[in-house]
Amino acid sequence: MAIDTIERTSTDARGSASTRLTTIDTDIHHGIYSKTDLFPYLSKVTADRFNDYGLIGGNLYAYNGGVRGYRADVVDAHSPGGLGAAATNIDRTLADLMDGCGVGIGLLTGSSLYSAAAMPDLDYASELCRAFNDFTIEHWLARDARFRFAMAICPQDPQQAAQEIDRIGGHPGVVAIIMPCGAPRAFGQRFYNPIYEACERNNLTVAIHFATEGTGVNPPPTSAGYPTYYCESRQARPSFYQAHLASMVFEGWFDKFPTLKVAMLEAGFAWVPPYIWKMDQDWKGLRYQTPWVNRLPSEYILERVRFATQPVEEPNPPEAIHSIVEWMDGKNTLMFASDYPHWDWDDPQQTLNTLKPEIRQRIFHDNALDTFPKLRA
Amino acid sequence: MSRHVVCQAQELPPGGRKIVEVRGRTVGVFNVNGTYYALLNRCPHRNAPLCQGVVTGLVQGPEPYKIEFSRDGEVLRCPWHGWEFDITNGRSVFNPHRIRAKSYDVAVEPADAPDDDPSIETFPVVVEQNIVVLYLGRSRPNRLPASSVGTNRAGTTRAASTEVRE
Repeated sequence: MAIDTIERTSTDARGSASTRLTTIDTDIHHGIYSKTDLFPYLSKVTADRFNDYGLIGGNLYAYNGGVRGYRADVVDAHSPGGLGAAATNIDRTLADLMDGCGVGIGLLTGSSLYSAAAMPDLDYASELCRAFNDFTIEHWLARDARFRFAMAICPQDPQQAAQEIDRIGGHPGVVAIIMPCGAPRAFGQRFYNPIYEACERNNLTVAIHFATEGTGVNPPPTSAGYPTYYCESRQARPSFYQAHLASMVFEGWFDKFPTLKVAMLEAGFAWVPPYIWKMDQDWKGLRYQTPWVNRLPSEYILERVRFATQPVEEPNPPEAIHSIVEWMDGKNTLMFASDYPHWDWDDPQQTLNTLKPEIRQRIFHDNALDTFPKLRA
Repeated sequence: MSRHVVCQAQELPPGGRKIVEVRGRTVGVFNVNGTYYALLNRCPHRNAPLCQGVVTGLVQGPEPYKIEFSRDGEVLRCPWHGWEFDITNGRSVFNPHRIRAKSYDVAVEPADAPDDDPSIETFPVVVEQNIVVLYLGRSRPNRLPASSVGTNRAGTTRAASTEVRE
Protein backbone atom coordinates (compact mmCIF):
# COMPACT_ATOMS: atom_id res chain seq x y z
CA MET A 1 0.00 0.00 0.00
CA ALA A 2 1.34 3.41 -0.91
CA ILE A 3 2.47 5.82 1.75
CA ASP A 4 -0.02 8.63 1.80
CA THR A 5 1.34 11.93 2.91
CA ILE A 6 -0.32 14.05 0.28
CA GLU A 7 -2.27 17.04 1.43
CA ARG A 8 -6.01 16.74 1.25
CA THR A 9 -7.10 18.65 -1.83
CA SER A 10 -10.35 20.35 -2.60
CA THR A 11 -11.58 17.33 -4.54
CA ASP A 12 -11.20 14.81 -1.75
CA ALA A 13 -12.49 17.09 0.95
CA ARG A 14 -16.18 16.70 1.67
CA GLY A 15 -17.45 17.37 -1.81
CA SER A 16 -19.52 20.31 -2.80
CA ALA A 17 -23.25 19.87 -2.67
CA SER A 18 -23.51 20.19 -6.41
CA THR A 19 -21.20 17.30 -7.26
CA ARG A 20 -21.42 14.69 -4.57
CA LEU A 21 -23.80 11.78 -4.55
CA THR A 22 -26.81 11.76 -2.31
CA THR A 23 -25.85 8.70 -0.35
CA ILE A 24 -28.24 6.15 1.08
CA ASP A 25 -26.68 4.49 4.12
CA THR A 26 -28.22 1.07 4.77
CA ASP A 27 -26.71 0.29 8.19
CA ILE A 28 -26.69 2.89 10.97
CA HIS A 29 -26.64 1.45 14.47
CA HIS A 30 -28.86 3.44 16.78
CA GLY A 31 -29.96 2.51 20.25
CA ILE A 32 -31.05 3.41 23.72
CA TYR A 33 -28.76 5.31 26.07
CA SER A 34 -30.34 3.99 29.23
CA LYS A 35 -32.77 1.24 30.12
CA THR A 36 -35.15 4.00 31.20
CA ASP A 37 -35.55 4.99 27.55
CA LEU A 38 -37.80 1.96 27.09
CA PHE A 39 -39.83 2.32 30.29
CA PRO A 40 -42.59 4.44 28.71
CA TYR A 41 -43.28 1.62 26.26
CA LEU A 42 -43.17 -1.33 28.65
CA SER A 43 -45.66 -2.70 31.13
CA LYS A 44 -44.79 -2.00 34.77
CA VAL A 45 -43.86 -5.62 35.35
CA THR A 46 -41.61 -5.81 32.31
CA ALA A 47 -40.03 -2.42 33.01
CA ASP A 48 -39.10 -3.60 36.50
CA ARG A 49 -37.65 -6.79 35.11
CA PHE A 50 -35.72 -4.97 32.40
CA ASN A 51 -34.39 -2.53 34.96
CA ASP A 52 -33.26 -5.27 37.34
CA TYR A 53 -32.01 -7.87 34.90
CA GLY A 54 -31.74 -6.31 31.44
CA LEU A 55 -30.81 -8.39 28.45
CA ILE A 56 -29.09 -11.70 28.03
CA GLY A 57 -26.24 -12.23 25.69
CA GLY A 58 -24.20 -9.12 25.97
CA ASN A 59 -20.76 -9.35 24.50
CA LEU A 60 -19.76 -12.98 24.12
CA TYR A 61 -16.08 -12.12 23.66
CA ALA A 62 -15.79 -9.36 26.26
CA TYR A 63 -14.01 -7.59 23.46
CA ASN A 64 -14.62 -5.51 20.35
CA GLY A 65 -12.54 -2.89 18.54
CA GLY A 66 -12.12 0.86 18.87
CA VAL A 67 -13.42 2.11 22.20
CA ARG A 68 -16.10 -0.33 23.41
CA GLY A 69 -16.97 -0.91 19.76
CA TYR A 70 -17.21 2.77 18.87
CA ARG A 71 -15.05 4.98 16.74
CA ALA A 72 -12.76 6.72 19.25
CA ASP A 73 -13.55 10.05 17.60
CA VAL A 74 -17.30 9.81 18.23
CA VAL A 75 -17.48 8.01 21.57
CA ASP A 76 -18.74 10.39 24.25
CA ALA A 77 -21.01 10.68 27.23
CA HIS A 78 -23.90 9.51 25.04
CA SER A 79 -22.19 6.22 24.26
CA PRO A 80 -23.64 3.60 26.56
CA GLY A 81 -21.84 0.60 27.88
CA GLY A 82 -23.57 -2.74 28.25
CA LEU A 83 -26.41 -2.01 25.84
CA GLY A 84 -24.49 -2.54 22.63
CA ALA A 85 -22.44 0.06 20.79
CA ALA A 86 -24.97 2.37 19.18
CA ALA A 87 -25.61 5.99 18.35
CA THR A 88 -27.86 7.46 21.03
CA ASN A 89 -27.36 11.15 20.33
CA ILE A 90 -29.58 12.16 17.42
CA ASP A 91 -28.01 15.60 17.06
CA ARG A 92 -24.55 14.12 16.84
CA THR A 93 -25.68 11.52 14.31
CA LEU A 94 -27.22 14.19 12.15
CA ALA A 95 -24.09 16.34 12.34
CA ASP A 96 -21.52 13.58 11.90
CA LEU A 97 -23.20 11.37 9.39
CA MET A 98 -26.24 12.82 7.68
CA ASP A 99 -24.91 16.37 7.27
CA GLY A 100 -21.22 15.61 7.66
CA CYS A 101 -21.06 12.78 5.13
CA GLY A 102 -23.92 13.76 2.86
CA VAL A 103 -26.21 10.88 3.76
CA GLY A 104 -29.62 11.72 2.34
CA ILE A 105 -31.44 8.64 3.61
CA GLY A 106 -30.25 6.56 6.55
CA LEU A 107 -31.54 3.16 7.59
CA LEU A 108 -31.55 2.73 11.36
CA THR A 109 -30.79 -0.85 12.19
CA GLY A 110 -30.67 -0.83 15.98
CA SER A 111 -28.37 -3.08 17.98
CA SER A 112 -29.57 -2.69 21.56
CA LEU A 113 -32.23 -5.35 21.09
CA TYR A 114 -30.54 -7.90 18.86
CA SER A 115 -30.13 -10.20 21.82
CA ALA A 116 -33.92 -10.48 22.06
CA ALA A 117 -33.51 -13.00 19.25
CA ALA A 118 -31.58 -15.27 21.60
CA MET A 119 -33.81 -15.17 24.67
CA PRO A 120 -35.71 -18.23 25.89
CA ASP A 121 -38.64 -16.13 27.19
CA LEU A 122 -40.31 -15.17 23.93
CA ASP A 123 -42.91 -12.90 25.54
CA TYR A 124 -40.29 -10.83 27.35
CA ALA A 125 -38.17 -10.63 24.21
CA SER A 126 -41.12 -9.66 22.03
CA GLU A 127 -42.24 -6.93 24.43
CA LEU A 128 -38.74 -5.44 24.46
CA CYS A 129 -38.75 -5.41 20.66
CA ARG A 130 -42.11 -3.66 20.61
CA ALA A 131 -40.84 -1.04 23.05
CA PHE A 132 -37.68 -0.43 21.04
CA ASN A 133 -39.74 0.00 17.88
CA ASP A 134 -42.00 2.56 19.51
CA PHE A 135 -39.01 4.35 21.01
CA THR A 136 -37.39 4.57 17.57
CA ILE A 137 -40.53 5.83 15.85
CA GLU A 138 -41.20 8.48 18.49
CA HIS A 139 -37.65 9.71 18.91
CA TRP A 140 -35.71 9.07 15.71
CA LEU A 141 -38.23 8.88 12.87
CA ALA A 142 -40.21 11.78 14.27
CA ARG A 143 -37.06 13.85 14.56
CA ASP A 144 -35.71 13.82 11.00
CA ALA A 145 -37.32 12.84 7.72
CA ARG A 146 -34.07 11.33 6.44
CA PHE A 147 -34.23 8.41 8.86
CA ARG A 148 -35.81 5.06 7.99
CA PHE A 149 -36.07 2.03 10.25
CA ALA A 150 -35.43 -1.70 10.04
CA MET A 151 -37.71 -2.77 12.87
CA ALA A 152 -36.79 -5.20 15.63
CA ILE A 153 -38.55 -8.54 15.90
CA CYS A 154 -38.06 -11.72 17.85
CA PRO A 155 -37.71 -14.26 15.01
CA GLN A 156 -37.99 -17.23 17.37
CA ASP A 157 -41.65 -16.34 17.90
CA PRO A 158 -43.01 -15.96 14.36
CA GLN A 159 -46.61 -15.40 15.48
CA GLN A 160 -45.80 -12.45 17.73
CA ALA A 161 -43.26 -11.17 15.22
CA ALA A 162 -45.95 -11.15 12.53
CA GLN A 163 -48.33 -9.30 14.85
CA GLU A 164 -45.66 -6.68 15.49
CA ILE A 165 -44.99 -6.31 11.77
CA ASP A 166 -48.69 -5.77 11.17
CA ARG A 167 -48.88 -3.31 14.10
CA ILE A 168 -46.23 -0.88 12.87
CA GLY A 169 -45.25 -2.10 9.40
CA GLY A 170 -47.56 0.42 7.79
CA HIS A 171 -45.59 3.34 9.20
CA PRO A 172 -43.99 5.11 6.25
CA GLY A 173 -40.59 5.14 7.93
CA VAL A 174 -40.53 1.41 8.64
CA VAL A 175 -39.04 -0.24 5.59
CA ALA A 176 -37.57 -3.57 6.76
CA ILE A 177 -37.26 -6.09 9.56
CA ILE A 178 -34.00 -7.20 11.14
CA MET A 179 -33.28 -10.92 11.54
CA PRO A 180 -30.11 -11.42 13.63
CA CYS A 181 -28.03 -14.29 12.19
CA GLY A 182 -27.82 -16.23 15.42
CA ALA A 183 -30.73 -18.69 15.25
CA PRO A 184 -31.58 -22.28 16.08
CA ARG A 185 -33.10 -22.70 12.60
CA ALA A 186 -32.01 -21.45 9.19
CA PHE A 187 -34.11 -18.64 7.75
CA GLY A 188 -35.43 -20.54 4.74
CA GLN A 189 -37.37 -22.95 6.96
CA ARG A 190 -41.16 -22.76 6.94
CA PHE A 191 -41.14 -22.16 10.68
CA TYR A 192 -40.61 -18.50 9.83
CA ASN A 193 -43.32 -18.23 7.18
CA PRO A 194 -45.65 -16.04 9.28
CA ILE A 195 -42.89 -13.43 9.44
CA TYR A 196 -42.37 -13.42 5.68
CA GLU A 197 -46.09 -13.35 4.97
CA ALA A 198 -46.36 -10.29 7.21
CA CYS A 199 -43.47 -8.67 5.34
CA GLU A 200 -45.31 -9.27 2.07
CA ARG A 201 -48.48 -7.68 3.49
CA ASN A 202 -46.52 -4.63 4.61
CA ASN A 203 -44.07 -4.29 1.73
CA LEU A 204 -41.05 -4.74 4.02
CA THR A 205 -37.62 -6.06 3.12
CA VAL A 206 -36.00 -8.89 5.08
CA ALA A 207 -32.70 -7.55 6.42
CA ILE A 208 -30.23 -10.02 7.92
CA HIS A 209 -27.47 -8.80 10.23
CA PHE A 210 -24.99 -10.83 12.26
CA ALA A 211 -25.62 -10.89 16.03
CA THR A 212 -26.27 -13.27 18.90
CA GLU A 213 -24.38 -16.22 17.40
CA GLY A 214 -23.49 -18.55 20.23
CA THR A 215 -25.54 -16.73 22.86
CA GLY A 216 -28.79 -17.61 24.60
CA VAL A 217 -30.81 -20.30 22.84
CA ASN A 218 -28.57 -20.17 19.77
CA PRO A 219 -26.06 -22.85 18.75
CA PRO A 220 -22.29 -22.24 18.80
CA PRO A 221 -21.20 -19.86 16.08
CA THR A 222 -19.29 -22.46 14.07
CA SER A 223 -19.35 -26.19 13.49
CA ALA A 224 -16.08 -26.22 15.43
CA GLY A 225 -17.68 -24.60 18.44
CA TYR A 226 -16.66 -21.25 19.84
CA PRO A 227 -13.82 -19.21 18.35
CA THR A 228 -11.50 -18.21 21.19
CA TYR A 229 -10.86 -14.61 20.22
CA TYR A 230 -12.91 -11.72 18.90
CA CYS A 231 -10.80 -11.29 15.76
CA GLU A 232 -11.06 -15.03 15.17
CA SER A 233 -14.83 -14.88 15.55
CA ARG A 234 -15.08 -12.24 12.82
CA GLN A 235 -13.63 -14.72 10.34
CA ALA A 236 -16.72 -16.90 10.79
CA ARG A 237 -19.13 -14.15 9.80
CA PRO A 238 -19.60 -15.02 6.13
CA SER A 239 -20.63 -18.52 7.19
CA PHE A 240 -23.57 -17.10 9.17
CA TYR A 241 -24.97 -15.45 6.08
CA GLN A 242 -24.07 -18.34 3.80
CA ALA A 243 -26.02 -20.83 5.92
CA HIS A 244 -29.17 -18.71 5.90
CA LEU A 245 -28.92 -17.90 2.21
CA ALA A 246 -28.43 -21.53 1.17
CA SER A 247 -31.43 -22.41 3.29
CA MET A 248 -33.53 -19.81 1.52
CA VAL A 249 -32.44 -21.12 -1.88
CA PHE A 250 -33.01 -24.82 -1.24
CA GLU A 251 -36.22 -24.43 0.78
CA GLY A 252 -37.67 -22.66 -2.23
CA TRP A 253 -38.05 -19.42 -0.30
CA PHE A 254 -37.56 -17.20 -3.33
CA ASP A 255 -40.49 -18.81 -5.15
CA LYS A 256 -42.64 -18.95 -2.02
CA PHE A 257 -42.21 -15.22 -1.46
CA PRO A 258 -41.73 -13.84 -4.95
CA THR A 259 -42.04 -10.18 -4.01
CA LEU A 260 -39.65 -10.08 -1.07
CA LYS A 261 -36.12 -8.71 -1.22
CA VAL A 262 -33.32 -9.71 1.12
CA ALA A 263 -30.68 -7.32 2.44
CA MET A 264 -27.46 -8.76 3.87
CA LEU A 265 -26.06 -6.16 6.26
CA GLU A 266 -22.49 -5.94 7.57
CA ALA A 267 -21.47 -9.07 5.72
CA GLY A 268 -18.83 -7.61 3.42
CA PHE A 269 -19.11 -9.12 -0.04
CA ALA A 270 -15.86 -10.58 -1.39
CA TRP A 271 -17.10 -14.02 -0.37
CA VAL A 272 -20.14 -13.84 -2.62
CA PRO A 273 -18.67 -14.78 -6.04
CA PRO A 274 -17.07 -18.11 -5.02
CA TYR A 275 -20.10 -18.89 -2.89
CA ILE A 276 -22.58 -18.59 -5.73
CA TRP A 277 -20.26 -20.36 -8.17
CA LYS A 278 -20.07 -23.36 -5.88
CA MET A 279 -23.80 -23.37 -5.25
CA ASP A 280 -24.53 -23.37 -8.98
CA GLN A 281 -22.01 -26.17 -9.53
CA ASP A 282 -23.50 -28.36 -6.80
CA TRP A 283 -27.07 -27.68 -7.92
CA LYS A 284 -26.37 -28.93 -11.45
CA GLY A 285 -25.65 -32.46 -10.21
CA LEU A 286 -28.02 -32.51 -7.21
CA ARG A 287 -30.97 -30.60 -8.64
CA TYR A 288 -33.21 -33.66 -8.48
CA GLN A 289 -33.03 -33.67 -4.65
CA THR A 290 -34.70 -30.26 -4.37
CA PRO A 291 -36.47 -30.10 -7.71
CA TRP A 292 -38.60 -27.11 -6.71
CA VAL A 293 -35.43 -25.06 -7.09
CA ASN A 294 -36.07 -24.40 -10.74
CA ARG A 295 -33.28 -22.01 -11.55
CA LEU A 296 -29.59 -21.63 -10.89
CA PRO A 297 -29.14 -20.55 -7.27
CA SER A 298 -27.07 -17.59 -8.44
CA GLU A 299 -30.05 -16.32 -10.42
CA TYR A 300 -32.25 -16.19 -7.33
CA ILE A 301 -29.50 -14.56 -5.30
CA LEU A 302 -28.39 -11.95 -7.80
CA GLU A 303 -31.98 -10.98 -8.55
CA ARG A 304 -33.37 -10.85 -5.03
CA VAL A 305 -30.54 -10.45 -2.53
CA ARG A 306 -28.62 -7.22 -1.99
CA PHE A 307 -25.37 -6.96 -0.11
CA ALA A 308 -24.39 -3.97 2.02
CA THR A 309 -20.80 -3.05 1.28
CA GLN A 310 -19.38 -2.59 4.78
CA PRO A 311 -16.84 -3.76 5.80
CA VAL A 312 -15.44 -3.56 2.27
CA GLU A 313 -12.65 -6.10 1.93
CA GLU A 314 -9.19 -4.83 1.01
CA PRO A 315 -7.88 -7.35 -1.54
CA ASN A 316 -4.24 -7.65 -2.49
CA PRO A 317 -3.72 -6.37 -5.12
CA PRO A 318 -6.21 -3.57 -4.38
CA GLU A 319 -7.48 -3.43 -7.96
CA ALA A 320 -8.91 -6.94 -7.53
CA ILE A 321 -11.90 -5.26 -5.94
CA HIS A 322 -13.05 -4.34 -9.45
CA SER A 323 -13.14 -8.00 -10.50
CA ILE A 324 -15.01 -9.00 -7.34
CA VAL A 325 -17.62 -6.30 -7.97
CA GLU A 326 -17.97 -7.45 -11.57
CA TRP A 327 -18.21 -11.16 -10.67
CA MET A 328 -21.20 -10.58 -8.42
CA ASP A 329 -22.86 -8.00 -10.67
CA GLY A 330 -22.12 -5.49 -7.93
CA LYS A 331 -23.44 -2.70 -10.10
CA ASN A 332 -26.86 -4.12 -9.29
CA THR A 333 -26.32 -6.14 -6.09
CA LEU A 334 -24.25 -3.86 -3.80
CA MET A 335 -25.51 -1.00 -1.68
CA PHE A 336 -23.49 1.28 0.55
CA ALA A 337 -23.53 0.97 4.34
CA SER A 338 -21.40 2.89 6.83
CA ASP A 339 -21.96 0.98 10.09
CA TYR A 340 -21.81 4.30 11.95
CA PRO A 341 -20.81 4.73 14.82
CA HIS A 342 -18.69 1.58 14.98
CA TRP A 343 -14.90 1.55 14.83
CA ASP A 344 -14.79 -0.51 11.63
CA TRP A 345 -17.13 1.79 9.75
CA ASP A 346 -16.71 2.82 6.11
CA ASP A 347 -16.64 6.50 5.25
CA PRO A 348 -18.82 7.01 2.15
CA GLN A 349 -16.32 9.48 0.69
CA GLN A 350 -13.58 6.86 0.74
CA THR A 351 -15.44 3.68 -0.07
CA LEU A 352 -15.19 2.03 -3.50
CA ASN A 353 -14.19 5.37 -4.93
CA THR A 354 -12.14 3.86 -7.75
CA LEU A 355 -15.31 2.52 -9.37
CA LYS A 356 -16.81 4.32 -12.31
CA PRO A 357 -19.21 7.13 -11.38
CA GLU A 358 -22.20 5.34 -12.90
CA ILE A 359 -21.48 2.26 -10.78
CA ARG A 360 -21.04 4.38 -7.66
CA GLN A 361 -24.39 6.01 -8.39
CA ARG A 362 -25.99 2.56 -8.33
CA ILE A 363 -24.19 1.37 -5.20
CA PHE A 364 -24.51 4.55 -3.16
CA HIS A 365 -28.09 5.35 -4.09
CA ASP A 366 -30.13 3.50 -6.69
CA ASN A 367 -29.69 -0.09 -5.50
CA ALA A 368 -30.93 0.74 -2.02
CA LEU A 369 -34.11 2.15 -3.55
CA ASP A 370 -34.60 -1.14 -5.38
CA THR A 371 -33.87 -3.18 -2.25
CA PHE A 372 -36.23 -1.34 0.08
CA PRO A 373 -39.34 -0.61 -2.00
CA LYS A 374 -40.81 1.69 0.65
CA LEU A 375 -37.90 4.09 0.17
CA ARG A 376 -39.53 5.10 -3.10
CA ALA A 377 -42.86 5.80 -1.47
CA MET B 1 10.32 25.27 6.82
CA SER B 2 7.81 27.30 8.77
CA ARG B 3 7.62 27.78 12.52
CA HIS B 4 4.36 27.70 14.44
CA VAL B 5 3.81 28.31 18.13
CA VAL B 6 1.45 25.64 19.45
CA CYS B 7 1.00 26.53 23.10
CA GLN B 8 2.80 27.12 26.33
CA ALA B 9 4.74 24.09 27.39
CA GLN B 10 2.85 23.79 30.66
CA GLU B 11 -0.40 23.37 28.72
CA LEU B 12 0.90 20.10 27.33
CA PRO B 13 2.13 17.97 30.23
CA PRO B 14 3.43 14.41 29.81
CA GLY B 15 0.63 12.25 28.43
CA GLY B 16 -1.12 15.28 26.97
CA ARG B 17 -2.06 15.95 23.41
CA LYS B 18 -3.18 19.01 21.51
CA ILE B 19 -4.67 19.01 18.04
CA VAL B 20 -4.12 22.19 16.09
CA GLU B 21 -4.96 23.40 12.64
CA VAL B 22 -1.98 24.87 10.85
CA ARG B 23 -2.21 26.31 7.38
CA GLY B 24 -5.07 24.10 6.30
CA ARG B 25 -3.77 20.91 7.84
CA THR B 26 -4.55 19.44 11.22
CA VAL B 27 -1.68 18.24 13.37
CA GLY B 28 -1.64 16.42 16.69
CA VAL B 29 1.13 17.39 19.12
CA PHE B 30 1.90 14.86 21.84
CA ASN B 31 4.00 15.02 24.98
CA VAL B 32 5.36 11.51 25.47
CA ASN B 33 7.21 11.26 28.75
CA GLY B 34 8.53 14.79 28.42
CA THR B 35 9.41 14.77 24.74
CA TYR B 36 7.17 16.34 22.16
CA TYR B 37 6.12 14.77 18.87
CA ALA B 38 3.74 15.78 16.10
CA LEU B 39 1.78 13.72 13.60
CA LEU B 40 -0.48 14.76 10.77
CA ASN B 41 -4.05 14.16 11.94
CA ARG B 42 -4.76 11.90 9.01
CA CYS B 43 -4.38 8.15 8.90
CA PRO B 44 -2.68 6.84 5.74
CA HIS B 45 -5.30 4.07 5.57
CA ARG B 46 -8.61 5.91 5.21
CA ASN B 47 -7.80 9.51 6.15
CA ALA B 48 -9.36 9.17 9.60
CA PRO B 49 -8.60 11.79 12.26
CA LEU B 50 -5.73 9.68 13.53
CA CYS B 51 -4.70 11.92 16.40
CA GLN B 52 -8.11 11.53 18.06
CA GLY B 53 -7.38 7.87 18.65
CA VAL B 54 -6.55 6.10 21.87
CA VAL B 55 -2.99 6.59 23.17
CA THR B 56 -1.68 3.32 24.49
CA GLY B 57 1.52 1.30 24.53
CA LEU B 58 3.11 -1.44 22.53
CA VAL B 59 1.41 -4.81 22.95
CA GLN B 60 3.56 -7.74 21.87
CA GLY B 61 3.24 -11.51 21.99
CA PRO B 62 6.63 -13.21 22.13
CA GLU B 63 4.94 -16.58 22.07
CA PRO B 64 1.34 -17.82 21.85
CA TYR B 65 -0.83 -16.82 24.82
CA LYS B 66 1.84 -14.50 26.24
CA ILE B 67 1.12 -10.77 26.14
CA GLU B 68 3.72 -8.13 26.95
CA PHE B 69 2.98 -4.45 27.33
CA SER B 70 5.68 -1.83 27.04
CA ARG B 71 6.34 1.77 25.93
CA ASP B 72 3.17 3.03 27.61
CA GLY B 73 2.02 6.25 26.00
CA GLU B 74 4.04 5.83 22.81
CA VAL B 75 1.49 4.15 20.54
CA LEU B 76 -1.54 5.77 18.92
CA ARG B 77 -4.44 3.58 17.79
CA CYS B 78 -6.48 5.06 14.94
CA PRO B 79 -10.14 5.73 15.82
CA TRP B 80 -11.26 4.02 12.60
CA HIS B 81 -10.13 0.45 11.93
CA GLY B 82 -7.58 0.42 14.74
CA TRP B 83 -4.25 0.66 12.93
CA GLU B 84 -1.46 1.39 15.44
CA PHE B 85 1.31 3.98 14.99
CA ASP B 86 4.47 4.79 16.92
CA ILE B 87 3.96 8.37 18.07
CA THR B 88 7.71 8.98 18.22
CA ASN B 89 8.27 8.46 14.50
CA GLY B 90 4.90 7.90 12.79
CA ARG B 91 5.73 4.34 11.77
CA SER B 92 2.94 1.78 11.88
CA VAL B 93 3.32 -1.11 14.28
CA PHE B 94 2.32 -3.80 11.80
CA ASN B 95 4.45 -2.62 8.88
CA PRO B 96 6.83 0.09 10.10
CA HIS B 97 8.89 0.27 6.92
CA ARG B 98 6.06 0.76 4.46
CA ILE B 99 3.12 2.25 6.34
CA ARG B 100 3.62 5.43 8.31
CA ALA B 101 1.79 8.54 9.34
CA LYS B 102 3.41 11.83 8.48
CA SER B 103 5.37 13.26 11.37
CA TYR B 104 6.69 16.74 12.03
CA ASP B 105 9.39 18.23 14.19
CA VAL B 106 8.54 19.85 17.46
CA ALA B 107 10.77 21.82 19.81
CA VAL B 108 10.44 23.46 23.16
CA GLU B 109 11.89 26.93 23.06
CA PRO B 110 12.11 29.92 25.30
CA ALA B 111 9.00 32.00 24.97
CA ASP B 112 10.91 35.04 23.81
CA ALA B 113 12.98 33.27 21.20
CA PRO B 114 14.66 35.85 19.00
CA ASP B 115 13.12 34.58 15.78
CA ASP B 116 9.59 35.37 16.93
CA ASP B 117 7.99 37.52 14.33
CA PRO B 118 8.18 41.04 15.70
CA SER B 119 5.29 42.18 13.54
CA ILE B 120 2.83 40.15 15.58
CA GLU B 121 1.53 41.97 18.59
CA THR B 122 2.63 40.35 21.83
CA PHE B 123 1.42 40.75 25.35
CA PRO B 124 3.41 40.61 28.53
CA VAL B 125 2.34 37.70 30.69
CA VAL B 126 3.38 36.93 34.18
CA VAL B 127 4.09 33.26 33.69
CA GLU B 128 7.66 32.28 33.20
CA GLN B 129 7.32 30.00 30.26
CA ASN B 130 8.61 27.88 27.48
CA ILE B 131 6.59 27.34 24.34
CA VAL B 132 5.99 24.31 22.16
CA VAL B 133 6.88 25.04 18.56
CA LEU B 134 5.89 23.01 15.53
CA TYR B 135 8.03 23.01 12.41
CA LEU B 136 6.45 22.20 9.05
CA GLY B 137 8.88 21.41 6.30
CA ARG B 138 12.18 19.67 5.77
CA SER B 139 14.76 21.30 8.01
CA ARG B 140 15.15 19.70 11.34
CA PRO B 141 15.71 21.77 14.44
CA ASN B 142 17.54 20.36 17.41
CA ARG B 143 14.91 18.53 19.35
CA LEU B 144 15.04 19.54 22.99
CA PRO B 145 13.61 17.25 25.60
CA ALA B 146 11.33 19.33 27.75
CA SER B 147 13.29 18.42 30.84
CA SER B 148 16.54 19.77 29.46
CA VAL B 149 15.22 23.17 28.56
CA GLY B 150 15.90 25.99 30.95
CA THR B 151 12.95 26.64 33.16
CA ASN B 152 11.67 29.57 35.15
CA ARG B 153 12.94 32.08 32.66
CA ALA B 154 11.23 35.35 33.10
CA GLY B 155 10.16 36.99 29.89
CA THR B 156 7.51 38.05 27.53
CA THR B 157 5.61 35.46 25.61
CA ARG B 158 3.30 35.53 22.67
CA ALA B 159 -0.28 35.21 23.90
CA ALA B 160 -1.47 33.65 20.70
CA SER B 161 -0.11 32.89 17.30
CA THR B 162 -2.05 33.94 14.28
CA GLU B 163 -1.06 30.68 12.59
CA VAL B 164 -2.10 28.19 15.20
CA ARG B 165 -5.55 27.60 16.49
CA GLU B 166 -7.49 24.78 18.02
